[in-house]
Amino acid sequence: MRKSILSSLLLLLFVSGIVVAQERTISGTVTSIEDGASIPGVNVLVKGTTTGTITDVDGRYRIQVGGEDAVLVFSYIGFESVEIEVGARSTIDVQMAADVTQLSEVVVTGYGTQLKTDLTGNIASVSGEEIQNVPVPSFEQAIQGRTAGVLITNQNGKVGQGIDIRIRGASSVSASNQPLYVIDGVVVTSESQSINAANTNPLADLNFNDIESIEILKDASASAIYGSRAANGVILITTKRGKVGKTKFTVGYQKGFSQPTNKVDWLDRDGYFELFDEAFANSSSDGTINGTVFGLTRAGLYDIFVPGWDDPQNFNTDWQELAFQDGQLDQIDVSASGGTEKTRFFISGQFSEQDGILTKNSFERNAGRINIDHRATDKLSFGLDFSLSRTKNNRLSTDNAFSTTLQAIAQAPVQSPFDPNGPGGLNQNTLYYNFLFHRDQSSFVTRVIRNLTNIYANYEIVNGLTFTTKFGIDLLTQNEEQFFGRNTNTGQGVGGSGTNRWVQVANYTFDNYLTYAKTINDQHDVSVTGGISYQRVRRDQTSVTGQGFPSDLFRQVASAANITAGSSTERDKIFASYFARANYKLNNKYLFGLSGRIDGSSIFGDNERYGFFPSVSAGWIVSEESFLSGLGTLSFLKVRASWGQTGNAFFTGSSAIDPDVPALGLFDGNGAYGGISGTSPSQVPNPDLKWETTSQIDIGIDFGLFEDRITGEIDYYFKDTEDLLLNVNVPGTTGFRTASKNVGNLENKGWEILLNSNNLVGEFSWSTNFNIAFNDNKITNLDGQVLTGGFINEAQEGQPIGVFVGPEYAGVDPANGDALYFLNDGTEGTTNNVNAAEQVVIGSPLPDFIGGFGNNFAYKGIELSVLLQFVYGNDVYNGGGRFQETNGDFFDNNTEYQLNRWQNPGDITDVPQARLFGGNGTAHSSRYLQDGSYMRLKTVVLSYNLPASVLSKIGMESARVYVSGQNLLTWTAYGDDGRAGWDPEVNTDFLAGNIGLGNDFYAAPQARTITFGATLGF
Amino acid sequence: MKYYNYRIIAMLLAVVLIAGCDGELDIKPKQSISSGVALGDADAVQAALVGAYDEFTNGDLMNGDFHMHADLLADDGELFWNGSFIGPRQIFNKSILITNGEVSEIWLESYETINRANLVLSALDVVDAGDAGRVEGEAKFIRGVTYFFLVRFFGKDWNDGDPNSNAGVPLITTPTSSIDASAEVSRATVGAVYAQVLSDLTDAANLLPTSNGFFATSHAANGFLSRVYLQQGDFANAITTAGSVISSGAFGLTSNYADAFNSTSNTSEDIFASQVSAQDGANGLNTFYAPPENGGRGDIDITNVHLALYDASDDRLNMFYNDQAGAQRTGKWTDATGNDNVNVLRLAEMYLNRGEAIARTQGLVQGAIDDLNATRVRAGLTMATLGDFASQQELIDEFLLERRRELAFEGFTLGDLKRTQGTLTNSGLAWNADALVFPIPDREMDINPNLVQNPGY
Repeated sequence: MRKSILSSLLLLLFVSGIVVAQERTISGTVTSIEDGASIPGVNVLVKGTTTGTITDVDGRYRIQVGGEDAVLVFSYIGFESVEIEVGARSTIDVQMAADVTQLSEVVVTGYGTQLKTDLTGNIASVSGEEIQNVPVPSFEQAIQGRTAGVLITNQNGKVGQGIDIRIRGASSVSASNQPLYVIDGVVVTSESQSINAANTNPLADLNFNDIESIEILKDASASAIYGSRAANGVILITTKRGKVGKTKFTVGYQKGFSQPTNKVDWLDRDGYFELFDEAFANSSSDGTINGTVFGLTRAGLYDIFVPGWDDPQNFNTDWQELAFQDGQLDQIDVSASGGTEKTRFFISGQFSEQDGILTKNSFERNAGRINIDHRATDKLSFGLDFSLSRTKNNRLSTDNAFSTTLQAIAQAPVQSPFDPNGPGGLNQNTLYYNFLFHRDQSSFVTRVIRNLTNIYANYEIVNGLTFTTKFGIDLLTQNEEQFFGRNTNTGQGVGGSGTNRWVQVANYTFDNYLTYAKTINDQHDVSVTGGISYQRVRRDQTSVTGQGFPSDLFRQVASAANITAGSSTERDKIFASYFARANYKLNNKYLFGLSGRIDGSSIFGDNERYGFFPSVSAGWIVSEESFLSGLGTLSFLKVRASWGQTGNAFFTGSSAIDPDVPALGLFDGNGAYGGISGTSPSQVPNPDLKWETTSQIDIGIDFGLFEDRITGEIDYYFKDTEDLLLNVNVPGTTGFRTASKNVGNLENKGWEILLNSNNLVGEFSWSTNFNIAFNDNKITNLDGQVLTGGFINEAQEGQPIGVFVGPEYAGVDPANGDALYFLNDGTEGTTNNVNAAEQVVIGSPLPDFIGGFGNNFAYKGIELSVLLQFVYGNDVYNGGGRFQETNGDFFDNNTEYQLNRWQNPGDITDVPQARLFGGNGTAHSSRYLQDGSYMRLKTVVLSYNLPASVLSKIGMESARVYVSGQNLLTWTAYGDDGRAGWDPEVNTDFLAGNIGLGNDFYAAPQARTITFGATLGF
Repeated sequence: MKYYNYRIIAMLLAVVLIAGCDGELDIKPKQSISSGVALGDADAVQAALVGAYDEFTNGDLMNGDFHMHADLLADDGELFWNGSFIGPRQIFNKSILITNGEVSEIWLESYETINRANLVLSALDVVDAGDAGRVEGEAKFIRGVTYFFLVRFFGKDWNDGDPNSNAGVPLITTPTSSIDASAEVSRATVGAVYAQVLSDLTDAANLLPTSNGFFATSHAANGFLSRVYLQQGDFANAITTAGSVISSGAFGLTSNYADAFNSTSNTSEDIFASQVSAQDGANGLNTFYAPPENGGRGDIDITNVHLALYDASDDRLNMFYNDQAGAQRTGKWTDATGNDNVNVLRLAEMYLNRGEAIARTQGLVQGAIDDLNATRVRAGLTMATLGDFASQQELIDEFLLERRRELAFEGFTLGDLKRTQGTLTNSGLAWNADALVFPIPDREMDINPNLVQNPGY
């Protein structure tokens, strides 16, 4: 290097007197150090000038330089930049090295991008590559355990249905706690559009193999630019775009097989009789099996409740096996991408069909996408993102319905599922409604057509100042068709029943903003973004129900004899917003950020139409300071802090029929009298109604050790939410009972730790990543109210949201087999009268900490990645336990565990004496509360990439074969020792809500899926 | 230059797009209308008036509990509550908790009715001049009657001490447009509430037409006025108002007693009845008095104490029957579909109101006897004569007895007990006992610091 400078100087001295700088042409090829492949699209710039070019498809470039002292700068995302002095050469070939330091990644932010090193806020990134081909319907399921502080809970194992996401804890009691989703810069519809209490998931319409990266904005400085909708965090999804170069084709296929993660041991025929005969005897008139209960003999009672119990065929039915099926996954992905310097494209298509682990439950997705970018001039570029998908979800009844598949396990094993007397038929005399009627004679299909389209244009007005305009449409059209045959419990007596419901959500966004970036004297880096955003969401819904079908073959309402119900409704809401952000970097060391958004919304009251959501942040890259430069081990150190406010506008009013105008005084048409229509006031106006406000402080450290072989982030945050929206009681003399008001506070605070380590580099490489997050949630003010949810969940002041409140189970009285409860009256006393026991906080559905631990190994094309995911410290309340673990209280089948019942004085057990109809320990209590902590072997992928030598022979760019496992192993105490409980990751769909958390009720477990696949590139 | 132009155009475009995008943030609800337009024109006010009737005839008010709870609270052994609901049982046992749901529902639904009436009254200026009087009259009728029931349940009787110092109920005469601290209204005196009742009903009597479909008429207003005056002991006005209904000739007693009940449309003697249909409304009396086979829960048995009030030849005895389970029931609300109207104001009551008032003011006179005979004769009993009564008191007592027979289980027990200042034999409670007044609901006491609880609670 020194030599070349010297020679350049000498040369310069010689020629300077004779000629002025001469224009000449330099050319060369840019290749990758790793594999020698040419790199198209590399920026080549003559340093200190505006002269630049881009390498072509074969990595070649040609550029004019002024003189031998010129310096060429080669830069390309994902590679370390290279600077080369031209000297006298006319050909300069360059090798570029992949950029391994993760700190120099570019991350997507609200309305822009930023270097990760320059971030002053907390943004978690997941690359699309990490979640490629994970065998689940929706991307949120695929990122479980991969980011710190994001709790993702599947409500149950039904495919295509609701998922609870909490970023840094729940920040609301009444409004939504789900984050805001933004795809390619456009806010999309993510709320359930389900006809019943079980949520659907509109994000499952997205083919997540199209995802380039996912960014999760967690602190206020990152998310405040999304203003009144950012209090629950923001998830930015960026889809793949074409790169300059020859067209690349990829084809992927995978085939998967699923089983439930766990099965519960239920009593078989012998066990059933053992338990219930004993329960009968204990409750009978003479204390033996020969007595009577309620005047009925043992045989008499069995005849009433479980007829067929004495059938000579000795039925021994395993109902659980009937409920489950072998799940399957078939998925084909095709994509093509590439482009010229002018025009780049990415095109993809997917066909995916997944049969769940419950019979008749399936999810199917056909999706296509075209992303096109065009550079019309140096100044003007524009493009289009277009995706169209169709999903079909064969759904089941909610977990609370007798007809739902997994409630089959409540049936008595001594009964046959099929008609014992006639071949082919189903048994109508089962203890509860036989779900097989639903399986065979009903259908519940949800079909969605989803279109996301964005059109954008960028224009560089002057150097550094760019104007961006973007128009996006998210069109969701959903049709739900339910048909219940004449023998199903819903269609019985009315000759079959059918419902058809259409929902269309048209979500338009129009964003216009200016971006300015300038570096002054290599010292001051300034970037400013500001603009406006307008969004309108219109939702139309139409439904019709008919009854009386000629036969079960007729399933459309057109064939119904009676139209029994019908309705059409429309909802509308608007956001008009102004946003701005400024970042300033001084001497590459000192970082300052400022952002704000003013959100106006039709949801808010007249007096609070516009909310202002500011944030400030600062960072200091300490490792750039000279006093740290000598430290060898510490390669990077940054401290940062941010404060900001975000809002929660995801709330609805007390009017069920017009929920999007919560601040208005309303009259609805529900006031008819004597056959004459009338109106009635349905909502009292509150012109002061507004968003909930969350103020968040985040303090963090980012560091790199050993030349960034080890990097990490540690964050502490404190989120204080005020103006909680609550329905509060008002004086009845007003003519109203409750009104929506902004009262109440809650807080979340916690730590997040993220570590990445490249343990081994070279031929055999090994990297590790680990994340863990602790969150403490506490409600500090609820205006004195206690709100309830779930079975026994409560929101009460001084406690985390959703705590379980009930009597505390004290086990079994060894003397007499009575269930005992702690009095909790200040004494240690117990009682066998559950009503005498105090209702106390017996547990919390919120985990103490969550996280993930991943390891990736690579050796000569063989790669192995292993991800562990864990959730610790939460409880799960199995509301179904009151029917599944009852020591023979009623005829529902019980777990084998119930055979541990108390039998003789002195027996020490936690299962009370079996007493038919005795209610011995079957009340809601901590008896049915279990530790819900778990650790899962979430994802294991073993893959092999064919070497280049083989590929070139068969004319392929890449070929990868893999086998992957999802949810292979789960370590948990939930359902341990034979207790009822399939899977600790649960929140039964019909009770899921802000307060209804951590409940199980015949909810299906997660699927354990093994897939085999191949991806080929041409 | 060309380049420069592009730049200017782009700048202008950016400014226009950024500045010009402030949308319209006022969204109109689609399934509802905002309060502003809900009363914006004559049709809208008429619809809101119908909505007021709808609430007024709620099962917790005029279609059930207004009557049933008055009979349960003041019962002296003529009926028996055997139902599982705790709220009515507390009322029947005359030991009501402040958390009683029935009591708070009566309070809440009543004020919801009053608010709806107030809304209509606040918007009379948009009603056509020709209609405004009727609309005002109907709204005032609804409000006046509701306050009358409220003050009798939640306050001391008119004649119990000084009505102008006894606490009645909060008096709200303007509609609720928003809720703030001013909504914490304290209780007006019994006297002030009665004054409002009389003013509303008198206005209604003057404003309403004599014929108005099944909606309120001047006769309905006069009919209720006679009930209010009787409660106050203002017999002269009771005579005038009841008399005006009788002499109008608009109504006539049905030929059979049974024909006056279980009808899906108004009978000839219904001055005002709550309309019930399959689509709308419910007959709350059917729910509790009728056995399951007749569409009810069968929660109220009728005892022999009540049956003993009748002469053996009294046709009204035929109204009683034993249900399938063997319990004795009244036949007044037995339609299994539950779609029969609820009789609120019958001509029979007018005769009894006027006759008793005449007897009390004029003593043994033929006019009183004639009014007594109106219901007696219809029930198949012999005509009474002046000679049958030894004293004025005997005649008055006969009127009171006749009311217990003729108007049985139609909600008169509590009012009659109080105005006649009687004592309940079984419980020993006197007419002015604290237990015979509802408590102010607990939920209301919690949020309105200006309310004072009734004595005894």
